[in-house]
Amino acid sequence: MEPVVLKEKMQQVLSFIKAQEGVEYADVRSNYIITENCSTENMKVQSLSSAKNLGYGIRVYMQGSMGFAGSQDFENMEATAKIAMEIAQATRLTQKHPVKLAPKPVVVASYATPIEIDPFTVSKEEKLGLLFEAEALMREAAPQLFRTQGNLMFRHEVKTWADTDGGFITQDLYEIGGSISAIAIGKGEMQLRSYPNSAGGNFATAGWEFIKAMDLPGNAARVGREAMALVEAEECPSGIFDIVIAPSQLVLQIHESVGHPIELDRMLGYEAGMAGTSFLDSVEPGKFRYGSEHVTIVADATAPGGVGTFGYDDDGVAAQPIEVITKGIFHNFLSSRDTAAVIGKPSNGTCRADGWGRIPIVRMTNISLMPGDFTFDELIGGIEDGLYLDVNRSWSIDDRRLNFQFATEVAYEIKQGKLTGKIYKNPIYTGITPVFWGSCDGVGNPDFWRMMGVANCGKGEPGQVAHCGHGSAPARFRQVKVGVADV
Amino acid sequence: MYNKERIFQLIDQALALTQGHPALVQVTSSAEGLSRIANSEIHQNVFEDRTSLSVTIYDSKKSSSISTTLLSQEGIAEAVQEAIANLALLPEGEEQQPLISEPKEMETLRFSLELHEAFGVETRVQMIADGFKGIPDNYKAYGQLAYRATNTGMGNSAGIRRYSDDNSVRFSLLVSDDVGGTGYASMVASTPEEVDLASVFAIALQKAQANQDPIELEPGAYTVILEPMAVSNLLGSLMFSFSGAALVSKMSFLTDRLGEQLFSEKLTIVDDWTNPLSPGIAFDSEGVPRSKLTLVDKGVTKEVAWDRAAAAKAGAQTTGHALSFMGRSASAPMNTVITPGEKPLAQIIAETTKALLVTRFHYMNPVNARQALLTGITRDGFFLVENGKITKAVRNMRFTESMLKAFSQIEEIASDGERLGAMMGSSYVPGMKITDFHFTGKTSFTDT
Repeated sequence: MEPVVLKEKMQQVLSFIKAQEGVEYADVRSNYIITENCSTENMKVQSLSSAKNLGYGIRVYMQGSMGFAGSQDFENMEATAKIAMEIAQATRLTQKHPVKLAPKPVVVASYATPIEIDPFTVSKEEKLGLLFEAEALMREAAPQLFRTQGNLMFRHEVKTWADTDGGFITQDLYEIGGSISAIAIGKGEMQLRSYPNSAGGNFATAGWEFIKAMDLPGNAARVGREAMALVEAEECPSGIFDIVIAPSQLVLQIHESVGHPIELDRMLGYEAGMAGTSFLDSVEPGKFRYGSEHVTIVADATAPGGVGTFGYDDDGVAAQPIEVITKGIFHNFLSSRDTAAVIGKPSNGTCRADGWGRIPIVRMTNISLMPGDFTFDELIGGIEDGLYLDVNRSWSIDDRRLNFQFATEVAYEIKQGKLTGKIYKNPIYTGITPVFWGSCDGVGNPDFWRMMGVANCGKGEPGQVAHCGHGSAPARFRQVKVGVADV
Repeated sequence: MYNKERIFQLIDQALALTQGHPALVQVTSSAEGLSRIANSEIHQNVFEDRTSLSVTIYDSKKSSSISTTLLSQEGIAEAVQEAIANLALLPEGEEQQPLISEPKEMETLRFSLELHEAFGVETRVQMIADGFKGIPDNYKAYGQLAYRATNTGMGNSAGIRRYSDDNSVRFSLLVSDDVGGTGYASMVASTPEEVDLASVFAIALQKAQANQDPIELEPGAYTVILEPMAVSNLLGSLMFSFSGAALVSKMSFLTDRLGEQLFSEKLTIVDDWTNPLSPGIAFDSEGVPRSKLTLVDKGVTKEVAWDRAAAAKAGAQTTGHALSFMGRSASAPMNTVITPGEKPLAQIIAETTKALLVTRFHYMNPVNARQALLTGITRDGFFLVENGKITKAVRNMRFTESMLKAFSQIEEIASDGERLGAMMGSSYVPGMKITDFHFTGKTSFTDT
């Protein structure tokens, strides 16, 4: 649909809604999302698929209640608006506390992801060729591998948003990601090594240049060899250890034990029935010690290349950096207009939906552990007997985000301040969120800091999947419980 | 939402554009109204009407799939053309997959007009408001009530037609006091007679009221009594391994072990779409008639769910359990039923000297798929049973345990169960008593 036509249709339906009795506010959002996935396995194309998804959602606030309806039918937007209004009216029956929206400026603007090379202009042959090249290098370095894999993901979203205040925002957003992995089998075990991360790899708001910079072929041989070595490796010991965690695992550690607990909707109970609440429900921002003085965490929706980077959220609030934890002290939640109003603050612009058929809710942007001043060798050098953990393999955390357990693909042994070259398979570590972050006594300096992303964050009912960025450098944690074999 | 006639118009439209290539087209149209509850109010109330079309083009031993919600002639033509163009980049598969040609027509019609008429948004909200009346002032309700209807049509260039319609209601409720004493219950219904929100409100409240002043236990091995939801949580993770694709990729713990006695002889699991306890659809995403599978027979692993591509790689036959998954080969049991035991769960509890009673688990994930090693956390009702009675609430704990071991140590399976929604499809599960179940962590804030 031509942008001019879409704008006209959106403004017409907003005028219609505004004219109805009891309407306080409404917005309409159209998402046109094109995705392309290609994957290879054992030197064959495993899948080459794409999807186009276009529709719109209308959110109406009437006398303190909200109703939402999503549809693909652009010829009958008034009918969709009527459904949203019927829902809002019906909702009033249980409404004890009318929904309020934190104030925001009226914004007329546009935003586009800065990209160098549009990934949709790169031929599928080139994309598959890159994966085949990396696969071949893994297999050459480790001919006994059971399976090699590669995958690439491309997403282009044209988002158009307008509200009854006169706001109108268009955004042209690109996301991209990929990975390679090697799987080895032996001794009744299956071992996996991935680069740059597992679960689809690393993701960013960027163009094809991101995939080129990832250098999948350049890391293929190492990944292949390490997968084979893990089959022969000893089981990771259980006990209390000092550990250094790589960004490829910290990405999940930050996501689960900081990103989710600081969502204001969880704190207010909006997700209690499904994803859970937050242990921060009884703490005072500005006073609660979340971690050690080495722990400073920022939520920044403007971070260059972060997969949680955008121009405006789905409330029409500008993307912004937020001080979350400064030198260990917790300061701010992530909020939307409706949740921020409950605590009497302005929204900090983290309200996003995963498509046209879902309402926007509080979602992580780029939640990052800011760099410290240690070199990698200094972090390792401060450990007598410990482990360096790399690449997430499994994750789990309780509904209040206190007790976590992660598995990584590999643990590298540290003895007397040095990596010995010995690796262990099946490492697991576990802890309690504020105790764990309190045990951090060093974070790598900016030379070691990397922005990484996850593309599989589930939340909400009906379910939504968000893409969130998490930057970090390797960080050291003292006296962490590793393994469960001794329990 | 599109009706049957409109769905087959779209399918015929797409098939007419395939330039002589063998093709399969599927259209799924659904409408869902969902009311979310927090702090004993409806805070999110939403509706979505969505229709998507997917086309798979076959050529020799290749297949190529594209999906779209752009349902204009132009949108459908683009999808078909891209699917055809991708064929040139795809390698040949294991063997040619001829189009399904028999039976010509299959239908599964489960749509209940009575259910549809009973679950408009106003009545949905009224039902929730009525439930709130039974919640004391010092407790609050959280959860969701959803009504969903789905029409699915499928056709191929060999002339088959498949169609299904169904609708269902899902309700889940968590009740909590101010200090986090929570209780949880849920239901799934396909007819108005099956809808019982009042019982869900009552059970969730009762559990929350019992979940007070929790004691803290040390990690270690305990006998557990798992309520149906907790069993369903474990079963969902177990079912991943009962797939042909997982066997071919050797990700399944059944790799080289199919046919072995891996579990307690008390355990029998059947996948049967015709069973009213866990009803399903007569055909899969490839149009193949769905078979009944005995997954576990008295502890012996017997059969797994196959799609055509994985079956071709393994020299097996499809069982009609294919799933649509981004163009990749995938399959799973969708309508599992665990054969009930002889005693009601209440009697099992009454006859137990000491055990931990689990309502459900949270955030489960495999730690090691080949070892069936899972981790997760108890949630919304975790109790100590002593001398036949629930005596104390227990602070939530993390388990890390192999399901191979857990399901081989079943002491009892209850005679009563529940139909529960699963990640894929649904299941009917009774409660279970399992010995030597490993809890590996506490959730206390002061825990180190």
